[in-house]
Amino acid sequence: MSSLSLLRAHARAGFLDLVRWPGYVVPTVLFPAMFFALFDLPFARMRADVANATTLAFVAFAIVGVALYQFGVGIAQERGRPWERYLRTLPVSTAVRFAARIVTALCFGVLTAAAVVLVACVFTPIDLTVAAWLRVLAYALYGGVPFVLIGIAIGYWTSARAAVPIATACNLLLAYAGGLWLPPGDLPKAVQTISPLLPTRALADLLWSVTGDGNALRGIAVLAVYTVLFAIIAAIGYRRDEQTRYA
Amino acid sequence: MILTFNNVAKAYGGIRALDSLSLGVERNEIVALLGPNGAGKTTTLEIALGLRTADAGEVRLFEAPPHNAAARRRVGVTPQQSGFPDMLRLDEIMALVAEHYPNPAPIPEALARFGLGEMARRRAGTLSGGQSRRLALALAFVGNPEFVVLDEPTTGLDVESRRRLWEVVRHLGRGRSILFTTHHLEEAQALSTRILVVDHGRLIFDGDARALRERAGGRSLTYVGEDGPVSVTTNDSDAYVRAMVSAGVNFQDLEISRPSLEEAFLSITGGIK
Repeated sequence: MSSLSLLRAHARAGFLDLVRWPGYVVPTVLFPAMFFALFDLPFARMRADVANATTLAFVAFAIVGVALYQFGVGIAQERGRPWERYLRTLPVSTAVRFAARIVTALCFGVLTAAAVVLVACVFTPIDLTVAAWLRVLAYALYGGVPFVLIGIAIGYWTSARAAVPIATACNLLLAYAGGLWLPPGDLPKAVQTISPLLPTRALADLLWSVTGDGNALRGIAVLAVYTVLFAIIAAIGYRRDEQTRYA
Repeated sequence: MILTFNNVAKAYGGIRALDSLSLGVERNEIVALLGPNGAGKTTTLEIALGLRTADAGEVRLFEAPPHNAAARRRVGVTPQQSGFPDMLRLDEIMALVAEHYPNPAPIPEALARFGLGEMARRRAGTLSGGQSRRLALALAFVGNPEFVVLDEPTTGLDVESRRRLWEVVRHLGRGRSILFTTHHLEEAQALSTRILVVDHGRLIFDGDARALRERAGGRSLTYVGEDGPVSVTTNDSDAYVRAMVSAGVNFQDLEISRPSLEEAFLSITGGIK
């Protein structure tokens, strides 16, 4: 009945309800790993430093995709349903339910990233230490939060139909322009100028800092700004939905 | 008092749903909320549960505003039909809801009393309509709440299952207060200790089933006369019969009956004039 046990109960229910849809789990968890295997493995298997950089970029891509796409779409589809209305009659705060969604999203994100890491460990000369992997995990969890909030914002600001294309477009554009697929130096000049402002680039920078390549502090700061910004946008979207549906 | 509405008003975009509605539910009462479609039943429940806020008037749930978490921990609610997370098992859904209450019932027992004990590990997506309805009721009671709100608890069930559920609800209702909406007059009569009728957002009747039938007044009188069967409604059946006898009317098979609950309901809500 404490907030913590309620958070765990809601996160657990959310996780189980998703993990049992094979049609959701298989493509979600395997897509980034497959993408990595098809497009980056030929380069990553040559050298350890390339393997490190591309694997970490795809860890970011995995986290971003799950948080943004799946949860944005999930909320947009669920918010009109009777079960959602029922949950609102239970004595649980909105903050706890939001937090539970974030925890569920991060669990899926980590699973998805783990599939990428598995491919990298088997087929590339990646050479991160255990301590470095733990930093990757911590950064991935921290950096995943603003993307979950962007996902929640999409979920509350778009209709169930519009959420899929909007989330897909955000995911792919942010991944591309943030330098998750191509090294930032290889991006077109115009894209290079906006890239450092994007949350995907900030997450990649943070992860790359583990091998001494990115700027950790800047990454943390940019992600914090996006977290605050989208927490506000998501909260306004939630209130707006509440007003129209339950006024 | 468990729940009180004091001159509560609510309008949706200029359309009035509740118009100065006042009502109350006391401890250990089972109250049926009746009314034609669009009378304001759903709005009443939504305001009582803190899902919507009233435009005017005062609503108190356990002497607190209805969205108050401490008050809501004492209330159990049925979800609307066909709305469970498909992939969760029944025991998992029950456990999730039970987590919100200070003193919940053990899950196996909470399922078994609605005949779902064998299905604890089934996924909600595989339930039939009747089973979903029973799960909805089981969820309303799993937290051992003092006050239970049931929105059309047996809609869509056959007579047999409906009666069995009344039995369970009556049993579980002991020592609790229940407020339920229904379209079945028979259900209101079988379950409730008091009936409230709302129409056009106002309370137009408050009393038990017997009083509702009295309120409609009159008797219906049928007999077979010289020209065939006759049916009359009268306010004073005694005087009517005396008049028939003294006028020498030839009648057979005279029957005098009170209006049924259904007829009484229709007459006060204006369904039949």
